[in-house]
Amino acid sequence: MTRANYNGDDMVIATDVDKIYPNKCHALKKVSVTVKRGEVVVIIGPSGSGKSTFLRTLNQLETVTEGDITIDGINMYDSSTNINTLRENVGMVFQSFNLFPHLSVKENVKLAPLKVSNLGKEQVEKDAISLLTRVGLAEKVDVYPSQLSGGQQQRVAIARALAMKPDLMLFDEPTSALDPEMVGEVLEVMKSLAEEGMTMVVVTHEMGFANEVADRVLFMEDGQLLVDDVPANFFENPSHPRLKKFLSSIL
Amino acid sequence: MHDKKNNWMWHLLSLIVLVAVGFSIYSASQKIDYTWQWNRVVPYIIDTSPIETYAEYDGTIIINDAGLITVEFDNGEPTQVVAKADDLFVSDGDLVFEGDTVSSLDQQSMGVLLQGLLMTIKLSLISLFFAVIIGLVAALMRISTNPLSRNFAFLYVEVIRGTPLLVQIFIVYFFLGTIFDLDRFTAGIAALSVFTGAYIAEIIRSGIQSISPGQMEAARSLGMSYPKAMIYVVLPQAFKRTLPPMAGQFINLIKDSSLVSVISITDLTKAGREVVAGSFATFEVWFAVAALYLVLTSTLSFGVQRIEKRLSTSD
Repeated sequence: MTRANYNGDDMVIATDVDKIYPNKCHALKKVSVTVKRGEVVVIIGPSGSGKSTFLRTLNQLETVTEGDITIDGINMYDSSTNINTLRENVGMVFQSFNLFPHLSVKENVKLAPLKVSNLGKEQVEKDAISLLTRVGLAEKVDVYPSQLSGGQQQRVAIARALAMKPDLMLFDEPTSALDPEMVGEVLEVMKSLAEEGMTMVVVTHEMGFANEVADRVLFMEDGQLLVDDVPANFFENPSHPRLKKFLSSIL
Repeated sequence: MHDKKNNWMWHLLSLIVLVAVGFSIYSASQKIDYTWQWNRVVPYIIDTSPIETYAEYDGTIIINDAGLITVEFDNGEPTQVVAKADDLFVSDGDLVFEGDTVSSLDQQSMGVLLQGLLMTIKLSLISLFFAVIIGLVAALMRISTNPLSRNFAFLYVEVIRGTPLLVQIFIVYFFLGTIFDLDRFTAGIAALSVFTGAYIAEIIRSGIQSISPGQMEAARSLGMSYPKAMIYVVLPQAFKRTLPPMAGQFINLIKDSSLVSVISITDLTKAGREVVAGSFATFEVWFAVAALYLVLTSTLSFGVQRIEKRLSTSD
């Protein structure tokens, strides 16, 4: 099944995902998650719980040992699947921004559309400017990443991921490397993205964001998915004893 | 103003020490009773010896009104026309015999040493070109996930770095050269490129590995293939970091190229040996050769520094 003719409700179907590293570290244990189109799913959990690893399996930055992952109707581990085409449809934002330091802000946003999609130069330029305007960086198009604050860099990274017009966005602790006063501006951009109906999977420690924006919140610990609930229940009536312990330790 | 030091004093001291060292070398050379004849080196750098024209057979000089000089031969051979001359040793109506000097033409051409320098530059540039290609391929093979290419890249680097260049030149020229019928220039280029390529491979590999893995991940997550991510994201950054060691390696290449003189390629060093044999100005010639190498390498370092400065804009 190709991207064009799939209109099903499920954006992500992960079934019994197992990940064992070569050093025998068992990072994911039978994790199954389904994310509906337009849904915002937040994953929380202590460090080392496997939440980032799980997120990275969703665009195959980590391959899985067992299990299956289907993104927008395409099974990632089908022999006919081109992983590069699949990744064009899945944007990712990293904890450490990972902007390309040798390119200006605008060139960072334009690189992938120019080299991967067959779009005209003018179209790419126009899209890049409008994306950077959208994240509030219209004046910074020609500066280099090293001249930007952390919050600005992360907003450029979001614009860069959006430039490929993805249907799914993955956020891997997008605010963890930021100074406290810059967290808000990045969360603001993510919130507006959620309001526009983008499907998002977010690994974060921002409980406020999870409570306010998420449709569902997942709790992972020790490679297992322990809780999958709507925010109200998740925070007010934590069902699982380990979630209770985790919430009491951070709140 | 405590942090402002009198640096010029130290610079002055360096100059004084330098002069002192120079003077002691000079006085040491006085003791060994050597007559310095720097002027003997000059013709080997710029050759100003005039081109002389000789009469082909016995005959008579005829200079017409337009100033055209011709030699009419007694044996009926076609008239010899003397084209251009700065000095004329005959006048109208003179009798000349076969082999007599009719005229001479002043000229300036590159001396043997400059020709050698050009050969050294040519050898170094062509070798550098192939060495960078070989080095890049070997570096990419070295970091590949495929054990076959990893093994071969490892083997290549270890074998080349573990054997002397001089021995490699002999093997390439005498063994491979015989099998594949290589001329000495090709053999020299091959030996130098393969040798330098191994070092460049290590430089590029460490450059690539010094780039955060997040860069590759970010590029791949945007849908770029591994080669595209390499070409547009990782290699440009790695290139910038490898520029200083790369420049050092190129300077090494220029100096290493002197070893190909053993297979009779007339590079700067071989030219130096030839000139010593002809002029007996041993000391002067080797100093001149060293100076020419130094001009070449210091020009290069200066150029690389300029490029580094220009590339540092995005830091």
